[in-house]
Amino acid sequence: MARRVSTQRMALNTAVAWVIGLLIFFPILWTILTSFKTEAQAIADPPIFLGFNWTFENYIEVQERSNYFRHFVNSVVISVGSTLLGLVIAVPAAWAMAFVPGKRTKDVLMWMLSTKMLPPVGVLVPIYLMFRTLGLLDTKLGLVIVLTLINLPIIIWMLYTYFREIPGEILEAARMDGATLRGEVVHVLLPMAVPGMASTVLLNIILAWNEAFWTLNLTAAKAAPLTAFIASYSSPEGLFYAKLSAASTMAIAPILIMGWFSQKQLVRGLTFGAVK
Amino acid sequence: MATQHSRAAARLMISPSVLLLLGWMLIPLGMTIYFSLLRYNLLMPGNNPYVGWENYKYFLTDPAFTAAIVNTLLLVGGVLLITVVGGVLLGLLLDQPMWGQGIVRILVIAPFFVMPTVSALVWKNMFMNPVNGLFAYLAQFLGLEPFDFLAQAPLMSIIGIVSWQWLPFATLILLTAMQSLDREQLEAAEMDGAGPFSRFFYIVVPHLARAVTVVVLIQTIFLLSVFAEILVTTNGGPGNASTNLTYLVYAESLLRFDVGTGSAGGVVAIVLANIVAIFLMRMIGKNLEA
Repeated sequence: MARRVSTQRMALNTAVAWVIGLLIFFPILWTILTSFKTEAQAIADPPIFLGFNWTFENYIEVQERSNYFRHFVNSVVISVGSTLLGLVIAVPAAWAMAFVPGKRTKDVLMWMLSTKMLPPVGVLVPIYLMFRTLGLLDTKLGLVIVLTLINLPIIIWMLYTYFREIPGEILEAARMDGATLRGEVVHVLLPMAVPGMASTVLLNIILAWNEAFWTLNLTAAKAAPLTAFIASYSSPEGLFYAKLSAASTMAIAPILIMGWFSQKQLVRGLTFGAVK
Repeated sequence: MATQHSRAAARLMISPSVLLLLGWMLIPLGMTIYFSLLRYNLLMPGNNPYVGWENYKYFLTDPAFTAAIVNTLLLVGGVLLITVVGGVLLGLLLDQPMWGQGIVRILVIAPFFVMPTVSALVWKNMFMNPVNGLFAYLAQFLGLEPFDFLAQAPLMSIIGIVSWQWLPFATLILLTAMQSLDREQLEAAEMDGAGPFSRFFYIVVPHLARAVTVVVLIQTIFLLSVFAEILVTTNGGPGNASTNLTYLVYAESLLRFDVGTGSAGGVVAIVLANIVAIFLMRMIGKNLEA
């Protein structure tokens, strides 16, 4: 795609794009910078951009005062747990629909997608009451179950669109060469399916990590993942900007990095294959 | 190639997903509808008598409901307008040749990965706070009065925050769509003497129509359910100034413990979301055939 453009045009594009890009990114950058300031420097007038004494104090204090690490572990357990559980349930379904499509496969897929359209608030009351009765409120297990169910349609859809791209002829060729069913799966299909499965896992961990309706409504102090932990800073404690920034930076950093790797899958996953 | 045997196996492989999703949809949905017909308040234990449409009447005639519907529409409409227009412009910009394109792309999509509670709190405190926020310093620097965003224009401020979160999504999808545009078609049009504007309106816009529809529909599904951003910034206030339908149902159910009315509100929210969903499903269904 080598389009010839003048150097001036190139320089102009670059300048405009970088300015806009940095403006959009600025709130994140500012949060990261503020997390290394003292509280006084964080609200200094005029604001200090870079010329401050870098300190890690806020990070240490956030951990000591609120046991940040526990909420971090909750987030990891809930997002990874719900994704893996979802994968175990979804792989056979997506596999069957991609390789043994029936007359109603399309209807089943569309119906699965339609469950995603159910607004969470529409079922908030019964889920809350059920969880209360079953003792699942404020437990990691409860959130793993809910997040597995709300992300299951996305997992199935993503896997389905990836599996469908694996040519069926390859299977037949392997069979002709005398491969057993097990050999077929292990040596032929799995290697071709792994990249798609990895993308699916990545995107779903991101979605589950940032989910902020069920995590806020179904947890209290014990099982709260980072979304809910950060929300506790909306109390007057939020006025400690440097500590808020340190907690925020730690909460978004892992997912920001994962997200950058999953840009392409993001489009595909969130549009259910409608835009590739 | 599908034999009788493999069909049966396939059905067996699909059934766990189907059963789980069926249960997840039908059981809570049935309960919501059932609760919505009862007088049921967690603070007033006792038998919960059947009251017919009373909860709906109460919920729908509550002035807070009208406010919430208006706010929901403004929130969804405002964010859609900003993100789609902004996304097209940013997409066009990022589609141009430049130095460091990959890095700019990374900077632009970053807000999408910030969890809602973090972005709401960062904007609320570090930018919109009328005393210590950066906007207050900026106003002061320009000789203006600091503006208390979340008190004086709560809904607009939330629209701003949510737009910042969703602009990357719109940009990324529109950019992906633009990159699939046939370059030769554009070059041919250019050679035939089409100017940049007619090229944009006659070639790029029709090509993007489908991607824009997808962006609008998917964002609408998510935007109807905006919750965390409101919870941590304004709690729906002042008054009902920034209460949307999702937040109102939450407040009825879990703050006022009125399960009956909350459930009626939940059913209303489901009906509204379904109207959008029907259009989205048609779009995606068409793609499945292609």
